[in-house]
Amino acid sequence: MLIGIDVGGTHTDGVCIRDGRVEAMAKVPTDHDNLLATITEALRAILKDCKSAEIRTINLSTTLSTNAIVTGHTEKVGMFVIPGPGIDANAYALGNQYHILSGCVDHRGAISAKVRVDQIRPMAARCREEGIRVYGVVGKFCTRNPEQETAIAEALAPQSDFVTQGHRVSESLNFGRRISTVYYNSAVWRTFNAFADALEQSLKDLNIQADINIVKADGGTMPLKLAREIPVQSIFSGPAASVMGILSTSPVTEDALILDIGGTTTDMAVLLDGVPLLERDGISIGEHPTLVRALKVESIGIGGDSFISSRDGQLRVGPDRHGPCMAAGGPAPALMDAMNVLGHAAFGDRERSAKGIKEVAMIQGLSARECAEQAVSLAMDILKKRVSAFLTAINARPVYTIQEILEDRVVRPASILVIGGPAVAMVPLLEETFGLPVVAPRHAEVANAIGACLTRPTQSLVLTVDTSRGSFTVPGLGIHKTVKRTYTLEEAVHDATTLLRAELDRQGIPAEDGDIQVIQADAFNMVEGHYTIGRNIRVRCQMRPGVITTLAS
Amino acid sequence: MLTAQSSLGIIFFPAFDWAISPTHPEREERLLYTQDQFREEGIFDIEGIREYRPLVAEEKDIMRAHFCFPSVQSVCTDSHFISAGGVIRAAQLVMQKERQRAFAVVRPPGHHAMRTVHGSRGFCNINIEAVMIEWIREHYGNLRVAVVDTDCHHGDGTQDIYWHDPDVLFISLHQDGRTLYPGTGFPSESGGPKALGRTINVPMPPRTSDEGYLMTVERIVMPILDHFKPDLIINSAGQDNHFSDPITNMNFTAQGYAKLTQMLKPDIAVLEGGYAIKGALPYVNLGISLALAGVDFSAVQEPDLDREKIREQKSTIDYLSALCDQLPDIYFNPRPSEAVRENGYFVRRRSIYYDTDDITETQVERLKDCPHCPGLLIVESETAKTPKSLGLHVPVQGCDMCSQEAEERFVKSRQAGFAHAQISDRVTKRYEYAK
Ligand SMILES: [Zn+2]
Ligand SMILES: [Zn+2]
Ligand SMILES: [Zn+2]
Repeated sequence: MLIGIDVGGTHTDGVCIRDGRVEAMAKVPTDHDNLLATITEALRAILKDCKSAEIRTINLSTTLSTNAIVTGHTEKVGMFVIPGPGIDANAYALGNQYHILSGCVDHRGAISAKVRVDQIRPMAARCREEGIRVYGVVGKFCTRNPEQETAIAEALAPQSDFVTQGHRVSESLNFGRRISTVYYNSAVWRTFNAFADALEQSLKDLNIQADINIVKADGGTMPLKLAREIPVQSIFSGPAASVMGILSTSPVTEDALILDIGGTTTDMAVLLDGVPLLERDGISIGEHPTLVRALKVESIGIGGDSFISSRDGQLRVGPDRHGPCMAAGGPAPALMDAMNVLGHAAFGDRERSAKGIKEVAMIQGLSARECAEQAVSLAMDILKKRVSAFLTAINARPVYTIQEILEDRVVRPASILVIGGPAVAMVPLLEETFGLPVVAPRHAEVANAIGACLTRPTQSLVLTVDTSRGSFTVPGLGIHKTVKRTYTLEEAVHDATTLLRAELDRQGIPAEDGDIQVIQADAFNMVEGHYTIGRNIRVRCQMRPGVITTLAS
Repeated sequence: MLTAQSSLGIIFFPAFDWAISPTHPEREERLLYTQDQFREEGIFDIEGIREYRPLVAEEKDIMRAHFCFPSVQSVCTDSHFISAGGVIRAAQLVMQKERQRAFAVVRPPGHHAMRTVHGSRGFCNINIEAVMIEWIREHYGNLRVAVVDTDCHHGDGTQDIYWHDPDVLFISLHQDGRTLYPGTGFPSESGGPKALGRTINVPMPPRTSDEGYLMTVERIVMPILDHFKPDLIINSAGQDNHFSDPITNMNFTAQGYAKLTQMLKPDIAVLEGGYAIKGALPYVNLGISLALAGVDFSAVQEPDLDREKIREQKSTIDYLSALCDQLPDIYFNPRPSEAVRENGYFVRRRSIYYDTDDITETQVERLKDCPHCPGLLIVESETAKTPKSLGLHVPVQGCDMCSQEAEERFVKSRQAGFAHAQISDRVTKRYEYAK
């Protein structure tokens, strides 16, 4: 039996699923000041319909880390960066204890200038004086050689509760993003771990002995134990949960567009052959891009509560929201009210909808029906334009081989999947607007919780080998060893997948053969003078993002 | 967050699946470390810098700049169409004002490819800058363009293509041809009879470093550009002047390249050569990109740089200083033409060697001495493999009479005994091979 809980902005939803069937559902208001109480309440509600002893897994999508960051309730972090030459590292400064150290690792992982551990003494002392207990250490190209990072982290250990090292948060290149990822990881570390402790205690009290996983923004989960080390991976997981919710209720194998239509906004995402598309580098926290892997999701300022107004003689819809729509007791007419007037929906108090729309219609010199029609078609136009720009941008993404250019794999959605409050009412309108079949899956009201529940763990791994230096690096697992000069790409692919499988085993994550996917396997001859001196091998593999099972129909 | 002062589009196309041969300098690995450096430095996260994918050039794009014998397909692989398409994309971004500047970091390069193409010279088949310039002039009218070639090798291909074109100023700075391939690029090569002083060659002694190089740019290139007032400045940004380059002997640095870019302010930069792929390219490409975007590049530096070791001797600076005094005169006071005239045409008889493909071409080039325009260009060319072929090029500034003469010669090409004939009429926009 699996439990999925999604802590949302307004509500926290929970589901219990057994053999692909929803056994129990719960919806409780979210108390952002006491998320644990909210989660416990949702669990209690679910437990009314199912036995605690049978719960094997709890998957949780929580706004905890996001909220801590967004509201500024984060801990002060002492940052130590080792940039070497390049773009001025001051551009990435975060916090008031940001220290730039000497030392340099180049793109091959060779140390061309040694970091001097003793130089951190006065900086570390200042951090101590400020009472700083969590730290971040980031070196440029540390994923190719983390030696210097580790040395600084060790030097900081005596005065710290936790140190995040750059090469442990992501295997991808991007120094600036790595700095912000490390910073935020340390900044939310204590909050997250306090929450994790309380959560474990609370489950014990409820007699639940289950594995706990945390939903990540890339639409996968990670075990709580790992989340304690890299809590930053749990930020912005809400949209991922809804995408995975759709995948678990309506299996898709083709290209598809996903629209999560809410009150204020519509989130869009794309499936490529049924697999959700990821951001190329990572998600941004405010103005700071990070390396936190995330599904590619974009928001459009159109939702059921989008405010309908007449300004400068022109009818407008959104992007602002003046509370709920009038049908739900709100103060101003909104898109949902127009849908009510047109008979697309029968939501709440339809009299109030009619009254609200009529007021705007009068200013425009239109009948209520005409006005509602124009408002709805305006909203559809905005959706269509934004979706098309989104797809254009995706299809313009850079590629690096001749084959990719000539193949030119263009994303062309064959269908649209919608969830969210106003979604069902909009199905016919969306079909007309986009000329595609539109499906609203069952259980749309708790799709996020279902997504959280059924989403699979994801894990990725990058292996880099330089046979001329004999170096073999898997930064994510902290493996740095030497290999023989004859090491081949085939061996690298084998080693990478074996290592990933072993890591999944270690974490108790079941993986079938087809689940591990090699997404990059390149070997470049390295030549000096006229001789091949070795090969530069890069292998990237991942546990394919997806769902454990889809709901039985 | 960092912000660019000038918006910059980078077309990064490393062609990870193409090489001349496995150990050739022009191989898959060449832009690998540049990609690593770009990624690690996060340059696409800088506000105002964006990455774009290349277009794929069409045959007619190639035919505007070249005579390809026996056909375009026979001398171009997919990678050439994409590399040329990459620089067209760069031009498109700038011309449509989507970006203020663009940098095409693509391979293979092109500046040794001449007007006539039978194969590869100096790793180049297609002159990607020329393809781009002609694409611009086809779509935006005849602009005045300055090409500043800062590759360590003489840009003999670009020189050849624009030899007769008064609206394209070609300035090449390079290691002295007496010490390096292709062995040309002397001050006496200063443009054809209709474009005197529009070709400027600056041969620099081996081991010239930042000070000497930047001095020549400041004292020769900048005053000429100021006077020529081009609509567009193109930089053929070859990176083989670098102190670590394995096939040249200069001592330029990433800082030098960045400062050069800052001074030149090119609208479009195009990567040419540069084969120190681990020690130079990642840093030079970064330096150039930041300079183009107007982002501080002062901390960009090769990890193993030792400035004292590569500083030029005083004698080198003195030699260059003398060059700086004399060279601008070639542009400002061009010497009268010594071109050979035969029956109303200027004639050049040449033998051209394609070192990469080991082909020898025999060529007769005739330029019509037209009173109305720079003149119809007629090329007769043959190699051991390709029998006598005819190329007819009516320039973008061409007149109706030249256009008509080209048409007549094209129609009669078979009768006249040519196995292949190509017409490129920039006036009527006709690009064809005789059937
Ligand atoms: Zn040059
Ligand atoms: Zn060169
Ligand atoms: Zn003429």
